[in-house]
Amino acid sequence: MIKTDVLVIGGGPAGLAAAIEAHKNGAKVILIERESRLGGILKQCIHDGFGLVRFEEKLSGPEYAERFIDEFRELHIEALLLTFVTKVQKTESGFVATVVNRDGVMDIEAKSLILATGCRERTAKQVFIHGTRPAGVFTAGTAQHFTNLLGELPTKKCVILGSGDIGLIMARRLTLEGAKVLGVYEVKPTPSGLTRNIHQCLNDFDIPLHLSHTVTRVFGVDRLEGVEVAKVDENMRAIPGTEEYIECDALILSVGLIPENEIAENLGVEIDPKTKGPKCDASLMTSVPGIFSCGNALHVNDLVDYVSESGETAGRSAALFSGKERKMASVIPGDKILYIVPQKLDTLSVGSETVVYFRSKEVYDDSIFRITVDGETVFEKKYAFLRPPEMEKVIVDFSKCGLSENSKISAEIEVTVK
Amino acid sequence: MANILKIQKKLSKRFGDRVKAELDGDIIRLSGSLSDWSEVVEACLMSSEKNSNIHVVNDIEFTGAEIPKMRVPSLSDDELEGKTPDVLVIGGGISGCAIARELSKWNINVMLVEKEADFALQASGRNDGEVHVGVDLSKGSLKQKYVLLGNRMYDKVCEDLDVPFERIGQYACFTQSYLYIPVWLLVQWRRFHDGVTDARVVGRKKMLEDNPTFNKDFKFAMYNGLAGVVCPYGLTIAYAENAAENGVEAYLNTAVLSMDTENGEIKAVHTNRGTIYPKIVVNAAGVFSDDVAEMANDRFYSIHPRRGTNSIQDKKAARLINTIASVQLIGKQTFSKAHTKGGGLIRTVHGNVLAGPDAVETFDKEDISTRPESIKTVYDKQKQTIKEVSERDIITYFTGVRAPTFEEDFVIEWGRRCKNMLHCGGIQSPGLTAAPAFALDIEKMIVDELSKSMKVERNESFNPKRHGVPVLNEMSPEERAKKIAENPDYGVIICRCEEISKGEIIDALERPLCPPTVDAIKKRIRPGMGRCQGGFCSPLVTKIIAEHENIKISDVRKASAESVICFGETKGGALND
Repeated sequence: MIKTDVLVIGGGPAGLAAAIEAHKNGAKVILIERESRLGGILKQCIHDGFGLVRFEEKLSGPEYAERFIDEFRELHIEALLLTFVTKVQKTESGFVATVVNRDGVMDIEAKSLILATGCRERTAKQVFIHGTRPAGVFTAGTAQHFTNLLGELPTKKCVILGSGDIGLIMARRLTLEGAKVLGVYEVKPTPSGLTRNIHQCLNDFDIPLHLSHTVTRVFGVDRLEGVEVAKVDENMRAIPGTEEYIECDALILSVGLIPENEIAENLGVEIDPKTKGPKCDASLMTSVPGIFSCGNALHVNDLVDYVSESGETAGRSAALFSGKERKMASVIPGDKILYIVPQKLDTLSVGSETVVYFRSKEVYDDSIFRITVDGETVFEKKYAFLRPPEMEKVIVDFSKCGLSENSKISAEIEVTVK
Repeated sequence: MANILKIQKKLSKRFGDRVKAELDGDIIRLSGSLSDWSEVVEACLMSSEKNSNIHVVNDIEFTGAEIPKMRVPSLSDDELEGKTPDVLVIGGGISGCAIARELSKWNINVMLVEKEADFALQASGRNDGEVHVGVDLSKGSLKQKYVLLGNRMYDKVCEDLDVPFERIGQYACFTQSYLYIPVWLLVQWRRFHDGVTDARVVGRKKMLEDNPTFNKDFKFAMYNGLAGVVCPYGLTIAYAENAAENGVEAYLNTAVLSMDTENGEIKAVHTNRGTIYPKIVVNAAGVFSDDVAEMANDRFYSIHPRRGTNSIQDKKAARLINTIASVQLIGKQTFSKAHTKGGGLIRTVHGNVLAGPDAVETFDKEDISTRPESIKTVYDKQKQTIKEVSERDIITYFTGVRAPTFEEDFVIEWGRRCKNMLHCGGIQSPGLTAAPAFALDIEKMIVDELSKSMKVERNESFNPKRHGVPVLNEMSPEERAKKIAENPDYGVIICRCEEISKGEIIDALERPLCPPTVDAIKKRIRPGMGRCQGGFCSPLVTKIIAEHENIKISDVRKASAESVICFGETKGGALND
């Protein structure tokens, strides 16, 4: 059996950063990647805008990935490519992962495990699109794979449902390839993607964005021939009588991402229903000691820079994992907070620089984000605006507030009424 | 004999002079004009007698909408021109494929044609996969006869054809204690009179012990241990492959368009791929069986298409159920009267949970589109079976169209006005269960008939055993490692949700009769059937097909020739890796 200290599952930006940081902290690391090349989904993200936070440079996805891949190679960290994890079991001394690849089936024993498995896209049926089942219904990531990796055009004239970032990016990409993007339809009254993408991908190309609209039906037996769109009410239900038929050859969906946590769930890791990722402490350790989570498997990020950052945190923590006792206190998000990470704090090892990520539930102008412990404010920050598509990061000092298991830690957004 | 005057009186009372009934030999022929399809169905149903072999033929003009014509493949060639098979089977669903396979035991020339781009693309691929026990049927119908025979054949058939099959039992659950005695009496009747030997009444305690997720309001259930689950399209394809292995010629994308008849006998069958001259024609055309009968001037029954929608839940939901179960609602939907067995909740043979189907009359025989209200109907009902069942776990849904006659029984007999057409029509639930059994009877009918004019001998090389594509993820690590050593492609996982390797995809492409399409691969070995619904693997599968077939990626299809996936290279073209 192959033995290692840290086993990283996933060779995208989170897994690469985690492996590098675990290695730098003295651990023997093996990284498993199911595709033939490292880089994860960045391989197909050929647009720029990656690395602004981290490198203060505008890089393309492959360029951003390459920086980590180069470092990974220079450090001679072991990676098993085209290798798939079929099963992970908890043992007394750690974990045993069973993997398959072209060489056969093998077991890898590790003291700690980093799950950097990314996320998957919500599908047409998960947003209850009805009608026929023709070719031409793609998730934005699948359309991106066809376009950017296989060099094949999946549409000539399409409608995009959902204003998630990949959908916006694909609206621009397909336009540049000569396809006609008839419009982006968003069920919510506000866009789901980053403001900069609304400008750079839609406005700059005169692609209309229809808020509070959805696609209700697809038509076409063999290849998609058209879609029906409709206005929606406050409850996001289609308003009868507002239906409109749009002739097109594809429906591209950018309706949300779901963290991939099948391995975590099988190992009994507690999942946060809000993030759909594991509940973690500040070291990004999950509810199961020795299992760490990072990147989009932890929660869906909008910037890869934060994916790498969480990977580094998980990598460092996994390398230093000793199995010592934890005494946990929960962070309770208020009703204006969509989610907060970490969801728990280990009161026995409270840092002075705890990284906290959060998203607001709705768009709020002039508001204050506040963390209190037993009613005492320990952190406060003013925001001119908070938007759900834009994740916020703050650094909080919890070391001076005498945390215990019984501490009541609350996070809240207060909207200052003018 | 049907009392036509009585029927006309009923019709006149309800529809005035808009519908007429006449007795035409052994047919009750309805004519007239109606604008509402539900009225057309109502008129025909009130004129028909359940399980009767005097059928209602619907000649009522429907003025409410244009009934779409049968969709025909765009392919046009003369590949089949002049062929003279002993038997031509029309339809590549479970009936046609099972019949073709049983006929392949004989040294006769059998040809099967299917208009779709693959087998089991309509009703046989769009049902719930339940192997029924017949507890809802009374003695005297063909359905009842064949469901009992078919159910008992499943272990052997699925073993021979290498198709997964599991007897997981079925609960029909009741919330009303006062129904205990009537249901108990019904169960005794079914067991001792109708031959449904596995029927039992199970008390609340035992039912909830074995099924802790069931609704706690249930008082008792009718239980049948012989109910099972099979992959309906998997079995159909297996029958087709085994038929082909034993010499049957099968052609996809081949539609029967018309026939030439002479003295009540089919002389020629015209298709989009040339004219065929068969001795015997088997009509296993599903929803189109009455149209095919018409081509031979032998339309003595009518099909009234009935849509049903099923939804599939993520495998995670399988913790909720390990059997087949449904609440029994009293009233219109009572188990003995409903036009669907209610299906209910089914743990499928692949470990998902299926919910459905509903039953909605439609005039469009190929309306496979789904509608939100179908999902709602099913979930409103099935949340009464297991409260935790949720639409949120749905990963996909699909609609099939059943092919019932107005008498609601199978039509398995020689033509009444055409000598050499054998009808296998009106096949709807439990058609999947019944098919292995009626295929044997049809085999015998055909062999007897052919023997009158030729010497029919056993096919000495007939091999009933089919070996499907190996399923790597079900193997022990040792077996799996051995297979990977033989072919390293078995170690390259392409579909992460269902854990399907490149080697398995290539194996599937090399099976007999496998069309090189994304859907055909999906149906055979499941890449794209999981929770991401092909989001990750569909480009990879497309590429593997292109490489294997040595065609361009833009020439790979989802299913039919028109189901284009990509339109050609981008400006930059493909990445070279």
